[in-house]
Amino acid sequence: MEEKRIGVYVCWCGTNIAKMVDVEAVAAKIAKLPNVVIAKDYKYMCSDPGQEMIVKDIKEHKLNRVVVSACSPRIHELTFRKALENAGLNQYMFEMANIREQVSWVHDNREEATIKALDLVKGAVNRVNFHEALDKRSVDINPATMVIGGGVTGLSAALELADAGNKVYLVEKTGNLGGHVANIDLTFPGLNSAAEVLEPLIYKVNNHPEVEVYLNTTIDEVFGYVGNFESTIKSGGKEYELKFGNIIVATGLTPFDPGKISSYNYEKLPDVITSLELEKMLKEGNVVKKDGSEPKKIAIIHCVGSRNADYHEYCSRVCCLSALKFSNQLRSALPETNLFQIYADMRAFGKGCEEFYASTSKKDVMFLMYDQQGDLPRISKAEEDAGYEMGIEFYEKLSGEDIIVPADMVVLMVAMEAHEEAKEVAHAVGISLCGNEFYIERHPKLDPVATTTDGVYIAGTCQGPKDIPDSVSQAKAAAARILASIARGTVEVEVTTAVVNEDVCCGCQTCIKVCPYTAISFDEEKNVSVVNEILCKGCGTCGSACPTGAIRARHFTDEQILSQIEGLFSKEMQEV
Amino acid sequence: MSQKPKIKMAVYWGAACGGCCVSVLDVHEKLLDVVAAADLVFWPIALDFKYKDVEAMDDDYIDLTLYNGAIRNSENEHIAKLLRKKTKILVAYGSCAHMGGIPGLGNFSDRKGIFDRAYQTSESTVNEEKTRPQTETKMPEGTLTLPEFYNDVKTLDQVVDVDYYLPGCPPQTERLVEVFMAIVTGAELPPKGSVVGALEKTLCDECEREKTDEKVIKEFKRPWEIEDDGKTCFLEQGVICMGPATRGGCGARCIKGNAPCRGCYGPPSTATDPGAKMMSAIATMIDSDDPEEIEKIIDQVVDPAGTFYRFSLPSSIIRKTIV
Repeated sequence: MEEKRIGVYVCWCGTNIAKMVDVEAVAAKIAKLPNVVIAKDYKYMCSDPGQEMIVKDIKEHKLNRVVVSACSPRIHELTFRKALENAGLNQYMFEMANIREQVSWVHDNREEATIKALDLVKGAVNRVNFHEALDKRSVDINPATMVIGGGVTGLSAALELADAGNKVYLVEKTGNLGGHVANIDLTFPGLNSAAEVLEPLIYKVNNHPEVEVYLNTTIDEVFGYVGNFESTIKSGGKEYELKFGNIIVATGLTPFDPGKISSYNYEKLPDVITSLELEKMLKEGNVVKKDGSEPKKIAIIHCVGSRNADYHEYCSRVCCLSALKFSNQLRSALPETNLFQIYADMRAFGKGCEEFYASTSKKDVMFLMYDQQGDLPRISKAEEDAGYEMGIEFYEKLSGEDIIVPADMVVLMVAMEAHEEAKEVAHAVGISLCGNEFYIERHPKLDPVATTTDGVYIAGTCQGPKDIPDSVSQAKAAAARILASIARGTVEVEVTTAVVNEDVCCGCQTCIKVCPYTAISFDEEKNVSVVNEILCKGCGTCGSACPTGAIRARHFTDEQILSQIEGLFSKEMQEV
Repeated sequence: MSQKPKIKMAVYWGAACGGCCVSVLDVHEKLLDVVAAADLVFWPIALDFKYKDVEAMDDDYIDLTLYNGAIRNSENEHIAKLLRKKTKILVAYGSCAHMGGIPGLGNFSDRKGIFDRAYQTSESTVNEEKTRPQTETKMPEGTLTLPEFYNDVKTLDQVVDVDYYLPGCPPQTERLVEVFMAIVTGAELPPKGSVVGALEKTLCDECEREKTDEKVIKEFKRPWEIEDDGKTCFLEQGVICMGPATRGGCGARCIKGNAPCRGCYGPPSTATDPGAKMMSAIATMIDSDDPEEIEKIIDQVVDPAGTFYRFSLPSSIIRKTIV
């Protein structure tokens, strides 16, 4: 067997790691482990000189395994794997120990942090001893794309891709294209018609030779992997087998149900309405109370379901500006009406938005601030002879007084929630949700529209609350990512798939049901299970379910994992 | 048989029930072939040799030793080391020597716990003086000694170097004869450390029951709680069967007797810890997504530790309870 020669590189990450971990001591200690030929520390391993150092050492010291002890592998594993490849080493002969997110950023005792860092590196070194070279697999990219969701985001993405000459399958759950923007009258801050934005998009999509639109259609399951996905969709009683190379998920949002906040008496008091209902009235040009009469006093309450630990902690980002937009529209439609903005914080970021706030505040609108941390406003029916329908009672923060605002109509600026079926779609395409059920991006800053599943992108409000320009930007960003992959023509796929040792498999078939990708079938003749490597995503579920050990999850073998645990807990070098 | 000189053979029991020694006797009329080919130089259950006779032998004097039983006390260990010195081929014979076996379940407790139970709290015991076994007891006539009872049970290979493992509780006698004949006829032996007399594949491969991928369990049942049709995979009937994680080679005798596999043949070479493997496999079969319901279903497993680690605890990753 080839002699194992391991190089270990401990990163300072500037002061990020070095201030809490004695990186020099870690490198010095690790150098004494068996098979470790060289151990170094360096300011920024991910920098060009850092990577070049690894490449040079691999060549000079004939290293055949490398451990980098730095940040999360989610950030730089691929960077260092590439460095190995540049030095002519198989990229899987690499292991990363995360001593930043898992050590320096979360501890405050330097000595103990150093011991923990040392333990993690010991685990990584132990593991890399058992790493095996794996062959790369390159697959052709099918230039077609499936776009899930026919709102402004999905439409923009579809057109971007189709205009470049690529097939797009646009799948929309409802019977109409346009999504929530179709229900909006005017957009902020320019007060332009939303229809002007949307109608040309819909027209182009419906008439584009490269776009196939499937309305009233949902996705149950998507099989395959980047470059080669497939799915059977049901549309209008017919089944369609679609094949595509990439996916854009643009499933959008669901408005918050204000019935959950009892003090607002939504659906109990007739003239407490949501921002969506007001949009509809404005669009129809008929803002009236339930009894058909004109409201003399209209109050708009902000942050309904947003920025509140009981509902959603996040800010929904568009409600403040929408509320200002309503004030403008109502001021024009009903010049005599009293308008109240009952807000918690006015958030008017974005191009032209602060200016819009300033101009709106000059239009005879009363701004009142409620305390987001205290009790929410309470809406109740006014006395018969009060001269107005409802009273809104709350502590007005700026004046420091408890007040009652009279209103004939109350508009609730409801929060944006992730789409109610976000979970189902996530399962179908194999992506993850963050805590609040919006889809999670691969990197919040550097890769905001990709997901951890190659070939699946997210755009628009399914990723988090945002306005139209941001949604469209994401749509076009996702499309650009896909166009780049189509232009390359091929893609390298992970080969860390599961493999069955037919000499050991006993045919118990425990694995078949556990595979989330239906990648395992049973060969009756040989009495063994068979993994379809094309479908396998290497999740490892079958490997842990297999009672015989016949299934190995490549790069995550029992041997590799157990040796890592052993290194982690070994009593060697526990003091610094 | 050939004119070859007879080989010298020993059989010893450590912490064992005696079943392994009986399995050697179970060769029946083939015993004639055995004694034609081998001289038994040490076998406490059947022949009257003393330890000092073994001590007097030259190193490597014995060609083949079948050591059955686990290492529970200092005597087991002492004789294991002695026989290792005197033997060319040392075989861990049976589940206890191989993996710790039933005595190995003692590792869920320790010496004190076991002594308290055995000599104090068991329902049939009256021991007001709280007498416990001692390694030395001074009597007027002199000092009496007993082997030291260890805190935990070890497998044979945790105290001495082992050449081969012949698994089973007890091993199938036919397998023993095959292995024995291979040795006496000078056939090429497998690499040191191999498990012999067993298959590389697990029991399902030779089990004749019908298996599908429909292993979904809503309720765990004990064998007497099902109306077994004699054909359907036990797991598919909700009965825990260690077959998938246990080497074949036994001829599926328990299954043929309509009892699920208990795991005595141990794991295949690809699985280090059959208990962990089987728990993990069983967990995937539970037919529920509701944590509370899953908890209820799991609670139906009577004695999970003893079920999944019945024969293998001292050789497993957990090895013993840290008391």
